[in-house]
Parts: sequence; structure tokens; C-alpha cells
Amino acid sequence: MVKRLLAWVSILLFAVFSLYPIVYVISVSLRGDNAFQTQSLEIVGPNSTLKNFVSLFTETDFLLWLKNSLIISGVTTFAGVALASCSAYALSRYRFRGRNMMLFSLLTTQMFPATMLMLPFFIILSQLHLIDSFWGLFIIYSSTALPFCIWQMKAYYDTIPRELEEAALLDGCSRWMIFTKIILPVSSPALVITALFSFMSSWSEYVIAAVVLQDPQLYTLPLGLRSFQASLATQWGLYAAGALIVSIPVLILFISISRYLVSGLTMGSVKG
Amino acid sequence: MRYYLFLLITLCSMAAHAEKLRIHVWHQMIYGHRQVLAEVLKEFEKQNPDITVQATYRETEELRSGYQSAAMGGSGPELVYGPSDQIGPFATMGIIRPLDEVLGVDYFKQFDPLAAPTFNGKHFAIGDAVGNHLMLIYNKKLLPVPPKNSDELIEMGKKATIDKNGDGRVDQWGLVFNYTEPFFFAPFIPAFGDDFIKDDVKPNLNTPALANTFQFILDMRDKYKIIPKECDYETANALFKDNKAAMLINGDWSWGDYKEAKVDFGIARIPMISGTGKWPASLVGTKGYSLNVNMKSPQHQEAAVKLLMYLTSTPVQLQFAEKVGILPSNLDARDSDIVKNNPLLKISADIMEVGHPMPIVPEVRAIWDSLRIQYQKVLAGSLTPQAGAQGAQVLAEKQIAEMNEVLKPDAGAYVLKAIFALVILGGIWMSRKSLVAFVKGFQGPNRFAYYMMLPAFIGIFAVIVYPFFYNIAISFSNFSLRTFQDWSLVGFTHYVNAFSDPKFYSLFLKTVIWTVVNVFFHVTLGVFLAVIINQVMPFQGFWRALLIIPWAVPQYITALTWRAMFNQEYGPINIVLQKFLHLSPIQWLSQPTTAFAACIITNVWLGFPFMMIVALGGLQSISHSLYEAARLDGATSWQRFRHITWPLLMPVMVPAALLGSIWTFNNLNVIWLVSNSGEPGDQTHILVSYVYKAAFNLYRYGYAAAVSVIIFLILVIWGLGMLKSQYQKETK
Repeated sequence: MVKRLLAWVSILLFAVFSLYPIVYVISVSLRGDNAFQTQSLEIVGPNSTLKNFVSLFTETDFLLWLKNSLIISGVTTFAGVALASCSAYALSRYRFRGRNMMLFSLLTTQMFPATMLMLPFFIILSQLHLIDSFWGLFIIYSSTALPFCIWQMKAYYDTIPRELEEAALLDGCSRWMIFTKIILPVSSPALVITALFSFMSSWSEYVIAAVVLQDPQLYTLPLGLRSFQASLATQWGLYAAGALIVSIPVLILFISISRYLVSGLTMGSVKG
Repeated sequence: MRYYLFLLITLCSMAAHAEKLRIHVWHQMIYGHRQVLAEVLKEFEKQNPDITVQATYRETEELRSGYQSAAMGGSGPELVYGPSDQIGPFATMGIIRPLDEVLGVDYFKQFDPLAAPTFNGKHFAIGDAVGNHLMLIYNKKLLPVPPKNSDELIEMGKKATIDKNGDGRVDQWGLVFNYTEPFFFAPFIPAFGDDFIKDDVKPNLNTPALANTFQFILDMRDKYKIIPKECDYETANALFKDNKAAMLINGDWSWGDYKEAKVDFGIARIPMISGTGKWPASLVGTKGYSLNVNMKSPQHQEAAVKLLMYLTSTPVQLQFAEKVGILPSNLDARDSDIVKNNPLLKISADIMEVGHPMPIVPEVRAIWDSLRIQYQKVLAGSLTPQAGAQGAQVLAEKQIAEMNEVLKPDAGAYVLKAIFALVILGGIWMSRKSLVAFVKGFQGPNRFAYYMMLPAFIGIFAVIVYPFFYNIAISFSNFSLRTFQDWSLVGFTHYVNAFSDPKFYSLFLKTVIWTVVNVFFHVTLGVFLAVIINQVMPFQGFWRALLIIPWAVPQYITALTWRAMFNQEYGPINIVLQKFLHLSPIQWLSQPTTAFAACIITNVWLGFPFMMIVALGGLQSISHSLYEAARLDGATSWQRFRHITWPLLMPVMVPAALLGSIWTFNNLNVIWLVSNSGEPGDQTHILVSYVYKAAFNLYRYGYAAAVSVIIFLILVIWGLGMLKSQYQKETK
């Protein structure tokens, strides 16, 4: 009984811990003009207003940023899932020269401080005339998330019994058909996770986008939000309102697939 | 035929018309100014129908680094607008053009000399306004007359610092300002007797004047208690706007804000220092337009120059003066009634009289940085004012030397080139069989696998592997401020420097602590919560979704939110500590240990959901029969955890923890955003944030690349070791 009570207390504590910052952002976004500074802990104070949300949509280019972000994240997610699922399948099912080397080098790509790749990125992209174009971002975003996604997918494929494919091979299926008709459908938890990671890496990325996209017509949500923060006078209300709206799609995504998340992230390592 | 010709000509002219010249301007104007800019640009486009102007806002630091990389890549905006102190670095790098060639020498005579600064004898920018200087702004309701000297400042400050309801908390402050930032503190230094920069370039920091200034601020904070213990720009601004501060030190850019908040304010010089009889000298600068060296065509250049002349012309400046109250740089504009009849601008001009021009040489950046580091250490109590002043001089000289260093290729360069050649040849020789096998693989039985992998690996190669090798090359080069355009391989110097610097080892130690503490909490909290959710809680899905939230919110939003929550005065964390736990408030962000702790708390918040999900997955794959059997054998719950859960969870948690450690080790976002790039005094850095600062703030690209290669090697060696020991355990 005592144990049960302790469990409840600690889970409630952590629920507060994980929710509070969000509540705080909500409360800031609801405050009127002057700002995030108040010494009360009220979430919805007497002066609360939805003004910030209204002006976010009417006075800023928020909808444009939203559209750009959706395009970029959509393409990145699609490309990321396609690339990761194919190459991970090869790494899982085939034994060939350099396979271990490849797996290890995928892991090592995570070890280099990513910010230092900025300078070379920029030089390469400007030589290819990909500055101020979504193509540059498509390429960078879908590739940077790849190493983790490939590892993830491979671990999952490893748990799928080979017998499934062998039967189909005997029936005369091509390898490509086996992959698309048998393997992909049973890998949905892992595919969902790969999609999630690809999506997240582009949805909230800021540093690279800031360099690649120079035309405000092409701004993504993080870039747009950042423009509310002048060096010395941040429009906290607008920023908070925008931050909330940026987080909501990811939140919904996470919550709706949290079931897949559990099996997708761990299946491989448990049985593999 | 004629008809077709006509059509052709019309089409051509339409096409020509459709192809308007597009001129880009990057600027860092604050919100109110941006609106005026938009208006005047609209007017310009009306006057010049063949030109469209694209104005892009960038935050000051970002404008600087973004412009640097853009110009280096041969592109970038035609015009760049910013404070005069960016002229020095940009001109040194050779990425902005001397304006004398395009505008003629006499053009500059129409401006206030402050607005047309020269660097190496040439003009690189024209300012559209003069000012940017600090002054004392006072709330007339709380303080009818401003103090004239520092004694009065302290007296009046004491009177205006009030705890209204007697709860031990000050409700109204005598003076507020962003005093941890050297820019806001610099005006006092000359008032105590000595400038902090000599001959425009040399740091002059080891002076009694600097030590006394340190002491003066400390006294205001600790002895007279008229300024808050912790006060950043936002806090000072908010207190003043809420009528909770009698006096404020801020610049001319802030007036609009206070007018809008309906504060009845007056402005005055920062009070004279009574002991010396000298006035604090604010740094007076200009913000202006510079011309990119890279132009797409002569037409672009012509249009950009036209735009530049328009934006600095009298009517445009007057429009700015009228709407946002800036002091025009154009001498004609300054004579107009709009300026003359504006009381604020008049006082402002008077304050500027005791001001000093803002130095624009690149070295200033190193001086500011050293000053900031030492000053914040003094404020945190880890250095005495004297030691702080002494240390600032040493540090500034060191940083200037590093920044200006142009390494010459030494013997190492030849060794290096030889090694590179050998590695490449050796690599080809060693892998020749693999290469052949690889090429043949496209026809062999495994060709399906090859085609499946090819697209992903092309992507990874282009985006990660190639830039990575590029970086290795930079790490052996002299790429820095003075060799921005043409760098060359020089040898091992950066590596030798990195390893012989004691700072490297202390940073490494701190990074290890950061990683271990974070990953420890991530894993233990993750497993703890997973066990509870899995065994005790009803509605598992609900709790799981609830606790996943921190993971779902984009990191940069999280980090800034937590920074606001740690605010000493307004952050909910301190308010809870005081109101409910009756503890004294913690100065989270101005003490090195608490600031580091704040970063860790933020990162723990960010990271535990991932581990929890992984642990949940692991737990759910453990068969229930094991627990039932154990229960039958009479095992306690601890024994069940110790002998069933833990060992079966290990294979899941170890790889996750491994990956988690790598991510944490390289996590720049949290440290950078929560501690505001390493504050206080550069004492919250971990290796990656230190690298970032060296590269993008201090122009030491080569050195930064070398340290990042070292970070990589550390992680690879450690990762290999972990994998190996794990492998051995599994095969036992």
C-alpha cells in the first residue's frame, strides 16, 4: 500500500516536472503586452488575453513559415524513411565486404560535433548554388538524421524471422517485392519512429536553416520565431504563442504514436 | 512577319521588365525601427520601379556570423547594416568594400564624423544615425530630479529601494541595469580615471580605474543594496516599465519602449563620480550600411549604391528621427526643426558630448570578451577587483595575440602533406580489394543490397563524410580572422596548442562530469518511471504520453523557457522557493556552479523521456512467468528487480546509454542557450560550446576545428572501448 502511494506521489511529481515548462509558456503567451515578467504564479491571470495568438496570425508571416516548414519536413520525412528503410534492409539481410565497417562508421558520424560541419556545408552549398533554396535543406536534413535511423531500422529488421522471406522467395517473388510486400508492412513501428526522427530533425532545426535560407519568404518556423527576438527587445508574448504552436504538431505526433515508440525503439536491442 | 516581330519585341521587353533587380539588405534593427525601414523601402521601390529590395532581419551576432560565411561562399546580401564595431572584422576579412572608390572622397563630409568612421584610412560604412549611447533614464513619478553625482546616486538609490509590504523582498529598486554586460559598465571606467583601450587598439585593463569600477558596482550591489543581485536586460526593462525602479541605465534605442509603456521618464547623464569629478563616458557609435565585395553584376552594384545613398539621405533620416527618435548622422538633417525641437534628442546630444567614440578595430572584441569573463568572475565573488583587473589585461593580450596570429607553414606542413599523401595512397592500396569487390558487387549476387544502400550512402557522404574531412583539413590550417580569404595548411600547431592548454583539460573534466551526471539521471529516472508505469499505474498509455512531453518540444524552445524560469526575480522556480518553501532566492544564472546546475536540470528534463521509453520497451519484453516463478520462490521485490529486471534490461539500456552519452557530450544547445553562451565568465562551457565560441565568436576556425577533431577522437576511442567490453561480456 505504502509502495503504491509512493509510486503515485513520484509519478505525479514527475508529471508536474515535465508539464510545468509548457504551462509556463502557455501562461506567458496569454499575458498581455508587457511581458513575461510577473511575480505571480497564476497561469491565467486577470489580464489574460488571446491577443498574442491573434496577432501571430494576422500581423506576422506565421502561416507562410508554417507552410514552408510543412513542405520541408514533409519531403525530409519521406526521403528519410525511404533511404533509411532501404539501406538498413541491405545491412540487415546481406553479408558483404565492408559491412561492419559501414555499421561502425554510421555510429561514428554521431561523434563529431555537428556545429563544426556548418562551415563546409555552407561552402559546398554555395558552390552548388543551393543557398536560398529548399533543396539544400532537403539534402542536409534527410541525410543528417540517416545514421541513427539506419541503425534503428536495422535493429528492427534483425528481429523479423528470415523464414518469412524464404517462403516467398520459393514462391518466385522478386527481392524488391519481398521488401515492399512483406518486410515493410511488418516493420511499421520502426518506420513510424524513423519518420518521427526525420520529421523532428527538420521541424525544429535552426542553425543550418539560418545559414541556408536568407530570403524571408523561405523562412521556416524556427527562423520566424527567432525574428521575434531582437537583440535587446524580445517580444515574449508573440514568441511564446509561436513556440506553443510549433510544439503542438510534434506533441500530437508523439502522443499518438507513443505506443509504437515503445516497441520500435527497443525491439531490436532486446531480441537482436 | 512584322506582326511576329512586334510580338517578339513585346515579349522581350516584358521579360526584361519582369526581371527586376533584387537587392538584399541584412540588418539588425529592433522592431519599431524595422517598421520605419519597411515604409522607406516601399517609397524607394516606388521611385525605382526596376529595383525590388529585400530587407532581412538578423539578430546582431547572427548577422555577423551569417554574413561572414555567406560572403566567404561568394554570396550574401548586397548591403549589410549593423553597428560600427563590425566594420573592423569585416574589413580585415576583406568581405566589405571601401566606399571611397564608389562614392568619392567628398561624399562623407555631409555626415557627422562619428557616422563615417575610417578603418586603415578608408571608409567602410556610412551610419544613418549617431548614438547608441547609454544614459540615466529616471522615472519622474518616483524621482523628480536625477542625481548629479555618485554620492547623490547612492543616497537617492537607497531612498528609492523599498520593501513595501515588509516581507523581506525589495518591491522597488533604486537603480536597475544590465550590469553584468561590460558594455553597460564600460562608461564608468574612464570616470574612475583611465580608459580601458589605449590608442584605439591596446587593452588598458590592469589599472586602478578598472579595479575601482569593479568595486563601485560591487558596493552598489552588496553594500548599499540599490541594484538587484541579478539583473539582465529583460529584467531591468520590465522593472522599469512596471514603475518598480526609479532609475535605469539604458541606451537611446529604448525610449520608444518606455513611451509605449506610458512611463513618465526623463533622461540625464550618468552621474559624475564624486571621488574623481569625472563624468562617465558612454560609448557613442553609429549603425550603418556597408557594401558587400561580392556583387552579382555591375547593375546590382549600381542599384546597391543608389539604395545606400537613399537610406542615408536627409529625408529618410528625418523620417527615422521623427518616428523612432534617432539622432540623424546627416548634418543637414540635424539642423532641421524635427531634431532641434525634440527635447529628448537635445539632451541626448548633450550626453554624447562626454561620450567616447566606439572603437571599431577587430581587437575590441577580444577586449570585451576578456572584460566580460573577468568582470563576471568578480561579480560572482571568485576574484577580487584587483585580481580581476590584472587578469583581464593578461587575458585580453592573449586573446588579441591569438586572434591576430597568422601561422606560417612550418616543417609540420611538409610532414603533414606527406602524411596526407601516404594515408590516401595507403588507403587506396589497403582497400584495393574492397574497392574492386565493391565495384564488382554491383553485378554480383548481392547487387540488390548495393543498390539499396547506394542512395543513403551518397547522402551521408555528401553531408557528413566530406565536410568532416574538410574540417580535418581546416584543423591543420591557419584559417582565422586575418586569413579568411586565403588559408593554407600549416602543420600541427593547433593540436599542440590545444593539448598544452590547461584550460582544455579542465573543460574536458567538466564535459565528463556533465555527461556522467546527465546520463546517470536520464537512465535512473527513465528506469524508475518505467518500472512504476509498467507495474503500478492504471492507464499506462496516458502516463506514458504525459511524460514524453519534454522530448517532443523543440530543444531551442525548451532551453529558452528554462532560462526564463531560472530568472532570479521573475522565474517561477525562485518564486516557489520563496513563497512555499520560505528559502532565500538562488542566483541561478550568475554563479558558475548554480548556472551549470541549471543547465544540467534543463538537460535532465529534456533527456529522461527517451530513456523511459526505451526502458518501458525493455520491461514489456520481459516475460511475466519469470516474476511469477520468483514470487513463488519468495523473492522480495528488490530481489526480483535485482535478479530479473535489471539483467534483462541491461542489453536494452546499454546501447541507449551509449548513444545518450554521445549526444550529451556534444550537446551545444542547452549550455549555449541556458547559460547565455557560457556565462558567468565563461565558466559553464563544455568542450563543444567552447569550440563553437572559438570558431564563431573569436574567428579561430583552425583551432576550433582541431579541438573538434580531438573531441571526435575521444568519443571514438571511448565508444570502441565500450563496444568491446560489451561484446566480451556477451560472449562470456
